[in-house]
Amino acid sequence: MGDSDFVYGSSLSIDSMKVIAESIGIGSLGDDAAKELADDVTYRLKVILQDAMKFMHHSKRQKLSITDIDHTIKSKNIEPQYGFLQPDSLPFRFASGGGRELHFIEEKEIDLSEILSAPPPKVPLDVSVRTHWLSVDGVQPTVPENPPPLTKEIQKLESVDPISKLNKPTNKDAAGKPMCGKAARLKASESVHVKQLATHELSVEQQLYYKEITEACVGSDEGRRAEALQSLACDPGLHEMLPRMCTFISEGVKVNVVQNNLALLIYLMRMVKALLDNQSLYLEKYLHELIPSVSTCIVSRQLCLRPEMDNHWALRDFASRLMAQICKTFNTSTNNLQTRVTRLFAKALQCPSQTNNENGVGPSMVTTMKESEKTPLASLYGAVQGLAELGPEVVKVFILPRVRWLGERVEGALSGLGGADRQAAGNLKQQLLKVLAPVVRQLRQPPDLPEEYKRDYGYLGPSLVQMVAKQRSSPAGGGGGGAVAVVTCTPPLVPSAPSPSPSPSPLQSHSHTFSTKTVETVATRNVVISASPTPQSPAPATPPPQKFVIVASQQKPPQAQPASGASHIVVHSSQPAIVRSQNVQAPVSVVAKPVFTRGGGGGAPQPPPELDDLSHLA
Amino acid sequence: MGDKSTPLLAVLQLLRKYNLKGTEEILRKEASLGDAEYENLDLPEVELASILTAHHTESDPYSYEFAYESLKKFIENSLDIYKYELSTLLYPIFVHMYMVLILYEHTTHAANFLEKFGPEQEDYYQEDLKKFSIVKNKDQIKGNELAEIYSSNKFVVQLSRDASSQLKRFLHEQKTTVIINIINNHIQIEVHDGPGRSLAQIRATAGGMLGEATRNENRTKVYYGLLKEPDIQLPPVPVEDEEETEETPDKPKKKKAKKDNIFMKKPKSDPNAPPSDRIPLPEMKETDKLEKGKALREASKRVHLGPDSLPSICFYTLLNSGHTAICADICDDSTLLAVGFNNSTIKVWTLTPVKLRGMKSAEKLQDIDREAGDVLVRMMEEKDRDTCRTLFGHSGPVYKVAFDPFKNLLLSCSEDSTVRLWSLQCWTCLVVYRGHVWPVWAVRWSPHGHYFASAGHDRAARLWATDHHQPLRIFAGHLSDVDCVQFHPNSNYIATGSSDRTIRVWDCLTGTQVRIMTGHKSPIFVLSFSVCGRWLASGGGGGELMIWDISTGLPAATLPPAHTAPIHALAFSRDGTILSTGSLDCSIKLWDFTAITEEVSGEEIGNNSTVQKDDRFLLRSFPTKNSPIKDLHFTRRNLLLGVGSYEGSS
Repeated sequence: MGDSDFVYGSSLSIDSMKVIAESIGIGSLGDDAAKELADDVTYRLKVILQDAMKFMHHSKRQKLSITDIDHTIKSKNIEPQYGFLQPDSLPFRFASGGGRELHFIEEKEIDLSEILSAPPPKVPLDVSVRTHWLSVDGVQPTVPENPPPLTKEIQKLESVDPISKLNKPTNKDAAGKPMCGKAARLKASESVHVKQLATHELSVEQQLYYKEITEACVGSDEGRRAEALQSLACDPGLHEMLPRMCTFISEGVKVNVVQNNLALLIYLMRMVKALLDNQSLYLEKYLHELIPSVSTCIVSRQLCLRPEMDNHWALRDFASRLMAQICKTFNTSTNNLQTRVTRLFAKALQCPSQTNNENGVGPSMVTTMKESEKTPLASLYGAVQGLAELGPEVVKVFILPRVRWLGERVEGALSGLGGADRQAAGNLKQQLLKVLAPVVRQLRQPPDLPEEYKRDYGYLGPSLVQMVAKQRSSPAGGGGGGAVAVVTCTPPLVPSAPSPSPSPSPLQSHSHTFSTKTVETVATRNVVISASPTPQSPAPATPPPQKFVIVASQQKPPQAQPASGASHIVVHSSQPAIVRSQNVQAPVSVVAKPVFTRGGGGGAPQPPPELDDLSHLA
Repeated sequence: MGDKSTPLLAVLQLLRKYNLKGTEEILRKEASLGDAEYENLDLPEVELASILTAHHTESDPYSYEFAYESLKKFIENSLDIYKYELSTLLYPIFVHMYMVLILYEHTTHAANFLEKFGPEQEDYYQEDLKKFSIVKNKDQIKGNELAEIYSSNKFVVQLSRDASSQLKRFLHEQKTTVIINIINNHIQIEVHDGPGRSLAQIRATAGGMLGEATRNENRTKVYYGLLKEPDIQLPPVPVEDEEETEETPDKPKKKKAKKDNIFMKKPKSDPNAPPSDRIPLPEMKETDKLEKGKALREASKRVHLGPDSLPSICFYTLLNSGHTAICADICDDSTLLAVGFNNSTIKVWTLTPVKLRGMKSAEKLQDIDREAGDVLVRMMEEKDRDTCRTLFGHSGPVYKVAFDPFKNLLLSCSEDSTVRLWSLQCWTCLVVYRGHVWPVWAVRWSPHGHYFASAGHDRAARLWATDHHQPLRIFAGHLSDVDCVQFHPNSNYIATGSSDRTIRVWDCLTGTQVRIMTGHKSPIFVLSFSVCGRWLASGGGGGELMIWDISTGLPAATLPPAHTAPIHALAFSRDGTILSTGSLDCSIKLWDFTAITEEVSGEEIGNNSTVQKDDRFLLRSFPTKNSPIKDLHFTRRNLLLGVGSYEGSS
């Protein structure tokens, strides 16, 4: 029988009637009259709605639209309501007061001159027909035009409850694998003596695909890598080899961290990025492999053979951004992902003085104190970057209280002897300033006095004052607010002058292979790789410092890049919409334009353009 | 005068209705009624009936609740063999009690009554009940669609002889006459010999707006066989050559056999076929014969389908169409696609590299030698080719488009209550057929051309011939909108499906209703006859699919509700082995139709209805990427084509 809690009919309230009456100038409507009217209006409205349903059904829709109501009214020979064509649903507002509760439609005043002066809206695209194979001899090919063979929900269900896969063989057949002819019979006969195990068998084609993809991703051919990454990011049918992909990545990171192979680590992180971008995959199941790999690439003590030369900072930045993306996408109240990741990074920033007086955790912290005393600057940098990507609030809570101690570390290293340490400290300082400035700007009111800053923030105080003051004065920062202000900042400081010693990083070995190559398609995600207008034959003896920029916007041609004689590799990847929406919360520096304009034309004390810059990966 | 006069007026009206002049005069004088009231005697039937039956029961609103409860108790306590049949009485009695309560303005009692017993009515009546429950006072009953249907028609309930005598006994024991009155006035009890039916049997046929179809209504013989195919002289030699060169010589032996089969298949005299001159069919034109010949040749290359060899599906996605595309149709030889839009336009695409051409202007046509062999080619414009053409003319959403069997004409129907005939050579509108008063929901060609049928919001279906601007037949009888219409393959019958949850089959010759089939639990949106003409498949608003046997008018199979949204497309493969359904839930499903019919013929001897609970007829399901299916079409070679509009990722 039907639902017992179903209520037969709701009706308009008497209050509504009175308000409507008032709006047309009838001040005193009696209760009886209002009731009578309310009943009648309710009835008529419902009759109209019932008929509108018919129009909806015949328009082959499942959502009632305003035109349906218009047509119903027309068919009932009532004057239609003009001017209610609304592209989206009507925004009802609620208001209460004076003992009344109201729902009303917000009608904004429209400035006609504004509409007239505005550029005309884009002409909608004409309807076109596109053909594809939904099924070939009863098998649905996994092409992007078809939905993924296993939807995310089913993948999720399988990960939560693997038995469900065994229980519903028919369902699975209906969704994924072919179930006709020989295959069906084979399956039927097989299932008799095969042990009940949820297996992920890979077909020969899939094995070949896996081999090709992994080889291309870590191989030397940049073109193939782009294609492979695109395939990873777009193909709908990857879920079956996902476990293998994730193992590949995590094992790869383990090996290459030990071997300090920066290039391969970057490639692996780009694979992670591609998998994250794939809409049809349910990655939750494999986060336990991906997160350690990514966090390794953020905070590892050493990621490359020559820390003073190679740009491992970019990898840390990129991996931080990935981590932020992971946290945004997968954080739930049950897995507490973001909390755990935050704790991981915060632990690396643990400093002796503050653990005691601020956290007051107790004696267990004493050990971490000692360790964190020794935490390498590169790891600190990674931790700061990782936290910074998680949003200004995190910066405020976890980095700001430790800034004094961090400043001491930086000061110590800068005054020290080790070249690598000095460089690392420089980077860390720059990064801290970049991260902290917008937060501090929001926290403190002008005027910014260097003494106060010095008192509150220690060594970094004076630099911070400058930074904050600059941001306050710059119009872009003023409009953008704290979170956005980070975006406009410059990339981390790396050696301020190109180091003369010949040490080609693993990345450089490819630079000559793809000079002036531009791949630009209208596909969803494209990767543009181009070299600077003055391609320079890279002699191994004088390797120019490189610039890696992976830019988010498709519209910005890489030519905007100030060419300073050095060869640049600009990897230009259009961003899927999700990532952009994430940026609302996190200061992920995605927009590349500010970097270019400031670096080129600003003339402010910015790092010279030939600096390595991987920070705009993503 | 007030209240007192209303019963008198009612009596007067009744007297007038039966033409009892003398009594009428006397009563008028005695009651001293003025002429004004007398002239305005126009009480609606509903009220009249209620007033005249009022006198004994009017008093006590509680008696209804009590009577209903005692009826319920009686049914619950009766033997299992009667129980289910008797329980079909509950809904109509419930509805009429509610209506009477409202007529006597016991509105609060009525609301309580609805609240109390409404939820326990059968689930397939809940939708109606929801619609009916908006009626909350006497005035609203008059104009309400459902209330009028209930009060002016009798609800049909089928009972076995024993069950009906049980019921009689119960009614005699009752003190109040409430239930007896309702049964007398509003319920038609059909007594059948034989044992009481089981729950499953009742469920299979229950669900119509006014109960089940009575058996007598489906007695008429229906000639469901196919007409003899006209002999078409194929130019035999070139055909052979063409085939040899075109096809990879895979299994030449088998192909031969297949081909013979198709050409020999023509039934010499199908016992169920109507006489070929039962309704006049148009003479085939020379070009039509060519087309038919091509079709036969194509058919000989047809792939045989079955559970082991499923068809390939080619899917046409309409991009950038959002919610604007409404309906689609693919012409018989699968070269053209027509789509009707929300914005009153129709677009026609060519699906082959052959571009769409218009005809030359009248002046230029005069210059053409009419005797020339290639006159058909010559009269077309040489330039001016397009892959897509738009037809303007309607002034409301286009709800259905249909290509004629010979690809020369296109029909469309729209919200503006017109049907339009378009030429696919001039690309202009040829005729506007006016006749429907409200939106026209469906239009279909006869398989032989010339005739077409339309159906609409005015609860009627109409049969037209292209050369008449008036309908040839009007098929009225549905209680609610006629949502879909379909010609029988022999052009002698039309099936209509309606929001009153019945399917009716009408004879084109006599214009009478020959079948009424109940069992759907939601509005019927699409119908399709099987290739052999005996079976009718219907898809409903709830995503359910039913197969009907035209020879008996009974449901042959109720397939499990695999779709979760309304089915709007049905297509039989050309050899009749596979049935495909497309739904708004963005999936296409394939059903093993051979197995379904075999099952039915096997069980037919035993009993009349079967309800399938398992999935064994469902072969495969293909989801599309957020593209609700608008149309399905099997090509002559058994490739399945689907049309859907992409609604964006959400």
